[in-house]
Amino acid sequence: MSENPILSVEAVTSGYGRVTVLHDITLEAGRFGNVGLFGPNGHGKTTLLRTISGLVAPKSGRVAFDGKDITGLSARAIVATGLIHVPQGNKLFPDLTIGDCMALGAYSPRARPHEAENREKVVKLFPKLAERWRQRVRTLSGGERQMVSIGTALMSHPRLLILDEPTLGLAPKIKDELCAAVMDISKGGVPLVVVEQDIEFLLELSRQLFLVDHGAVKTEIRPGESLEHSEIMAMYFGH
Amino acid sequence: MSVFSDIVFGGLFQGSLYAMMAVGLALVWTTIGVFNFSHGVFMMLGAYFAWQLVAFGLPVVIAFPLAVIVMAGAGWILQASVVRPLIGRPNIVLVVVITTLAAGSLIENGALTVWGPRSKQLPSLIEGNTTIAGVGVSLHQIAIIVITPLILAALWSFLNRTRLGLALRAVAQNEDASQLVGLNVTALYGLAFAIAASLAGLAGIFMGGYRFMNPSMGADPLLKALIVVVFGGISSISGPIFAAYLIGFFEAASNYYFGLYWTPALLFLVLIGTLMVRPEGIFAGRSRGLA
Repeated sequence: MSENPILSVEAVTSGYGRVTVLHDITLEAGRFGNVGLFGPNGHGKTTLLRTISGLVAPKSGRVAFDGKDITGLSARAIVATGLIHVPQGNKLFPDLTIGDCMALGAYSPRARPHEAENREKVVKLFPKLAERWRQRVRTLSGGERQMVSIGTALMSHPRLLILDEPTLGLAPKIKDELCAAVMDISKGGVPLVVVEQDIEFLLELSRQLFLVDHGAVKTEIRPGESLEHSEIMAMYFGH
Repeated sequence: MSVFSDIVFGGLFQGSLYAMMAVGLALVWTTIGVFNFSHGVFMMLGAYFAWQLVAFGLPVVIAFPLAVIVMAGAGWILQASVVRPLIGRPNIVLVVVITTLAAGSLIENGALTVWGPRSKQLPSLIEGNTTIAGVGVSLHQIAIIVITPLILAALWSFLNRTRLGLALRAVAQNEDASQLVGLNVTALYGLAFAIAASLAGLAGIFMGGYRFMNPSMGADPLLKALIVVVFGGISSISGPIFAAYLIGFFEAASNYYFGLYWTPALLFLVLIGTLMVRPEGIFAGRSRGLA
């Protein structure tokens, strides 16, 4: 892995309107490999991701992607750098077909030349999507919609993929399928930043973990400092 | 036979104008989620721009398309000035009703100041009259009946067959997700307004060719377009198109059998009846989105 962090967040304060969710949060990610974020709900993980991807403008602080300052850029400009965010939930575009979603994923000029090659990758990763290519997203199951979400992001030709709870609310069998697909993406050379409640999966996937609590990084776990499940649970619940 | 063709012809003609207006209203609603109450003023403005360009001595084939293009710019400007600053506010629907009504009123009175109250008329698209199936009609009206479906079909294929159209449909469904695939949401909002304004402007040009124009000529078509979109459902652009023709035929039939004065009352009666049975409109799907 590279010497420099692919993503760095420096003293970022962010939130919605007058509500501040992130307080001076700092983290450097991707120096060692995939990054996992965990922590109790409502403590800023999603807001952190939304701030990184430009959906929420930070009130102060700095966000850099691959050494380039992306603070305050529009979401569109950030997509153009190759930082792709798969948001939580699977609302997506309910009345578009899977094929439409994939075409949209390749909308940015950066991704367009790779459209055919990325489509092949997505179909290989999620063969189910190919069978339902002309089906509307609203008619798909939760797991399939999550596949469309991730597939759309892959169509954007990511240099870094941010996943916000990719397995939230899925049945165990589908969940395993998705976890395997996410591992495949990682093996394919795309670094990941993942928020996930399933700690087992997160431990398997990531080499660096951050516990986000009260809008700040409470603990960072680096490679070599491997942790047991029980210890993480203790961090989660035992204050 | 003549009665029947009278009604069919009248329905097609009115339906075309309503469809042209209603589609723009639906396009703005589906993409931005606001009702544009200056839509009728767009219609008026299109007609006056065209009149002004003709008065400058431009031939109709240049003046009319140019007026439509100018209207696209006007739509964009209106969006940027009275809609865009409000996007993201929780009460946007209501606030935009006020801002677009206000802008409409300003523009209408501006037109009154610039062009005066005296009625004007545009040249017809095609001069002359003909008789079809026992009904005497003007070629101008025939042209409108033929051109409108072509334009609506072009709009449909733009929305469904092009990447930019896909982007417009997407932004209607999920703004966050649209941003995360790199769509320029503000530009797409502007585009929706620009297209809507051009279509309204074209409807104005159509209308100015067979009826006298005045600065408040857009008020009644706006009302009709509102009825059409409520009746047809605002979740797509095909719903309002069908509804526009349906209402056109209804009006033509009602005008013939019950007279001009009863028609609006009957129209509202049918509308209320429809909404009691299908509150989402007769052709509506379940959600907001262009299809």
